[in-house]
Amino acid sequence: MVKSRDGVVRSLGPYLLLSAALVAAYLYLPSVRTVTQSAAVIGIPVHFFASLPSTALKGMQGHLTTADQLRNDFEAMRQRNLILQARLHRFEFLENENARLRELLSAIPSEAEQVTLAALLAVNPDPAALAVIINKGSADGIFQGQPVVDSGGLVGQVTKPSLFFSKVSLITQEDQAVPAQVARSGLRTVVYGSGPGRLLRVPYLDRNADVRAGDLLVTSGLGGRYPPGYPVASITAVERNLAEAFMKITAEAASHLGRDREVLLLWLPAKEATALQDPMETEQDDD
Amino acid sequence: MISVNSEQHRSWIPFVTVFIALVLLVIPAPELIRGFLPDWVSLVLIYWALALPDRMRLPLAWGVGLVIDLVILGIPGVHALSKTILVYLAKHLSLQVRTYPLWQQSVVIALLLGIELIFFVIVDFAAMGSLSEVHRWTAVIVGGLVWPVVYFALRRSRHLANLGR
Repeated sequence: MVKSRDGVVRSLGPYLLLSAALVAAYLYLPSVRTVTQSAAVIGIPVHFFASLPSTALKGMQGHLTTADQLRNDFEAMRQRNLILQARLHRFEFLENENARLRELLSAIPSEAEQVTLAALLAVNPDPAALAVIINKGSADGIFQGQPVVDSGGLVGQVTKPSLFFSKVSLITQEDQAVPAQVARSGLRTVVYGSGPGRLLRVPYLDRNADVRAGDLLVTSGLGGRYPPGYPVASITAVERNLAEAFMKITAEAASHLGRDREVLLLWLPAKEATALQDPMETEQDDD
Repeated sequence: MISVNSEQHRSWIPFVTVFIALVLLVIPAPELIRGFLPDWVSLVLIYWALALPDRMRLPLAWGVGLVIDLVILGIPGVHALSKTILVYLAKHLSLQVRTYPLWQQSVVIALLLGIELIFFVIVDFAAMGSLSEVHRWTAVIVGGLVWPVVYFALRRSRHLANLGR
């Protein structure tokens, strides 16, 4: 039984202040953020036990089907395949773009991206499952805002790097926005997350814009956060309504959204990152 | 000799139950039931606050909440405060709720979880302006429904730990 208002204030007040101070310090003081990143190490035992069931299951499957050597080879090849597939998606886009731009420009700047493979921890940080945790952290050079892709396309970005693991927010999160363009026509737009599930929103496309169901949306590279050319979503339905200025478009995410075992972390080439940074520093402004 | 041993308090057992709840919290569940899973840590904390209101101190609840924030890489302080509020309420209700039949306890637990959810909705709205947390009300109902199971499991652990009466 709660006795009086005074009692509540006196017992809960300090904790309210303490928590508020901690949140404020975390948001505004970089040093507190660093300390938190290191303190998150205490999560490792929890993550370890939480991922035991799936690790054991994985181990058992391997034991039943193949010999050790074969398994290692398979693992290596699968990882290689993942990298190649991600590269391939990019080259398909470059091919398209090259064909379109050849008349306008003499050359397209070729840039090599550095990638790192990271395994997904079988850990679910979010009840709504719009984030995943990967086994690379700031100790491996992972930074906040780093783009994450898998064999299907863009997965999301690193939002909370800690020392040895990081949280990746999926593009389906409602507060995520990806500058994208239609691969076929080059039409630029912004793709927004729409919460749980695989669907994405493409809200601000003009009624007369050249978009069809089946079109592939790839990252446009504007904003400098995501490198250009990675598949984001494929458009599943386009609904034109004469009474409205914008089309109603439903799109489905192209990547596996953290259902793969591994993801790739990308480092933007420094030249490209600085060149594109100025006009749109953040891609999260929505008008 | 044995009786002397059984008189010993094993006060680490509640911590183990909290740890197990933490693991259950982050363990990946099939997509189908994911949204319905209750916050196990809340349930465990409520149990200990009801069973041992004098020992379940608020700093402890705050600390557990902070550990959750660190484990899930959230903003530190959010879960810390929500768990503190939860334990505070449960402590104050403990004398009454312990006399209730189990199904009535379930209702109270669901109410407590609901209060925590409201807290999260407010925080989420203040931080991101979205009300998407509201869809987790099903987890609150499920939390009330699984309370008897949690209750019996934790009562067993409490007897094992030799804590309380």
